[in-house]
Amino acid sequence: MLEAATNIPYPHWLNPADNTWQLVAATLVGLMSLPGIAVLYGGLVRKKWIVNTMLMTFAGFSLTLVVWMLWGYNMAFGALSHFGATGSFWSGFIGHFQPLSTASSEQGQAVSGANTLIPFHFPTATLAYFQFVFAAITPLLFMGALVGRLKFKAWLLIVPLWITVVYCVNAALLWGGGFFSQKGAVDYSGGYVIHLSAGVAAFVGAWILGPRRWQDRENAFPSNLMMVAVGAGILWLGWNGFNGGDPFYAGADAASAVLNTNVATAAALLTWLFWDMFLSKQKKPTFLGAINGMICGLVAITPSAGWVNGTGALIVGLVASTVVWFAWNFLSKCRPFSKVDDALGVVYTHGFAGLTGGLLVGILADPHMVQYGIKGPNYKGPGNFHVAGWFFGHSFHQLWEQFLAALWIIGFTAAGTAFVFYLVKFLLGGLRESDDVLREGDIAIHEEEAFPEPTFGEPVGSASHTHADNV
Amino acid sequence: MKLVTAVVKPFKLDEVKVAVKEVGITGMTVTQARGFGRTGGHIEIYRGKEYEFDFVDKIRIEITCTDELVEEVIDAIVAAARTDTVGDGMAWVSDVEHVVRIRTNERGPDAL
Repeated sequence: MLEAATNIPYPHWLNPADNTWQLVAATLVGLMSLPGIAVLYGGLVRKKWIVNTMLMTFAGFSLTLVVWMLWGYNMAFGALSHFGATGSFWSGFIGHFQPLSTASSEQGQAVSGANTLIPFHFPTATLAYFQFVFAAITPLLFMGALVGRLKFKAWLLIVPLWITVVYCVNAALLWGGGFFSQKGAVDYSGGYVIHLSAGVAAFVGAWILGPRRWQDRENAFPSNLMMVAVGAGILWLGWNGFNGGDPFYAGADAASAVLNTNVATAAALLTWLFWDMFLSKQKKPTFLGAINGMICGLVAITPSAGWVNGTGALIVGLVASTVVWFAWNFLSKCRPFSKVDDALGVVYTHGFAGLTGGLLVGILADPHMVQYGIKGPNYKGPGNFHVAGWFFGHSFHQLWEQFLAALWIIGFTAAGTAFVFYLVKFLLGGLRESDDVLREGDIAIHEEEAFPEPTFGEPVGSASHTHADNV
Repeated sequence: MKLVTAVVKPFKLDEVKVAVKEVGITGMTVTQARGFGRTGGHIEIYRGKEYEFDFVDKIRIEITCTDELVEEVIDAIVAAARTDTVGDGMAWVSDVEHVVRIRTNERGPDAL
């Protein structure tokens, strides 16, 4: 294939199909944030918080990209810093504090601890952008727990600090070739690094920030269910890039990951619907319930998308949606969950779903699902890469590794998030807007509102009835 | 019989509702309204241009009651809706000639 393209100045290592798919997948994931999260969360909050929620989404996305170019990418995915003996934890938990700004660092062949098996067939710019959209969505997810009282200035500090202190370390440890990936823990495309971490950060952040006003909690009705449908739909289909992009090759495993992702999501949506119809107090199918189930499925299949088979994907959707449904309806009434105001329930739909999915890898991963290793002229790797769960490998080894990695993610994210939030609280003298501002919402903070209507008629000063433009 | 009409800040509606219920009022009608008083409006900014919002969001409450109850109702509304800041709104009372309960065709004070 590459021989046919000799007249086009592709470097010998670049495969146009891989590069194209990787850029498309990255764009799909980017769409999940903009406008996905903006309209999903905008539709779920009260009308008076729509502008604030959307602006935090767009600002957070931008902040992460600047951090990513200046130091984030190389800290998470560049060559690892060695603070200790090879093989020890200290030899592999963070990269170098270094920007990604020169021509060669953008256009050279991508190299990363994220995949040491076979060389990437696209440039670093592609990999950096692909990994950026994952980093960007993570703070946007836990933002859902903080909406309705967080100071906007605090958000502008929380995002770059959290990406640097928490995300880069977790990504380097599990994806950048760091300690946990050396140990054998796997996270296909972010059940741990993104979703479990976002869920924990949501819980700890909301705890430190404190609850919304009582009146806002009592009247926490969503502003627009059609916008929720738009955002949720973009999330689901955007996830084809999220999981389909993570083999880093436009190959068979990318295709399986896309199919499995959709199967698990459908199963999870239907499972939540089933519990709503037969076990909930109202015994009614609800749209927002189905959307919760959908998100659980997407999140839970993320750590395993290309390593489970179709049956495994169905089970992942069913189990994760059930676990989260019961957590959402019952665990939420127990301490400490009942004492923390996680506004949009991020700890359930991302934290619990991510944890469930990450552990299910250790049970359901099918070693016949080969990620790399299909022989051909482009294949230079040392062997097949596959993951075997308990059902197939008859060993709890993978489950144990998954469990240890989960413990790390929960503990470290909780500590790192607490550090970031207390630091910002100290710097700004508080994280929460005053009650007077909170009562008014968007207009008080931004002097904008989602549906402005300044006047019923025509402005008098323009003498519109005599103006030449008036028809 | 009297009609009490009050224009209050939207976030005070629930408190007013609870207060008049305690007085013994069994029904009220609520409309989203906009208006201006001595407060004036506020400014919003879109794409760098300032827009003057002359009319401020309010809630208009209408309550019909017997002559004996009217002072208590007004006291309840004032106590509940007052924030001691500009824009707390106002209330007024007008005479009601006749009242009919549509379901039962009851007339006069019985219909309240």
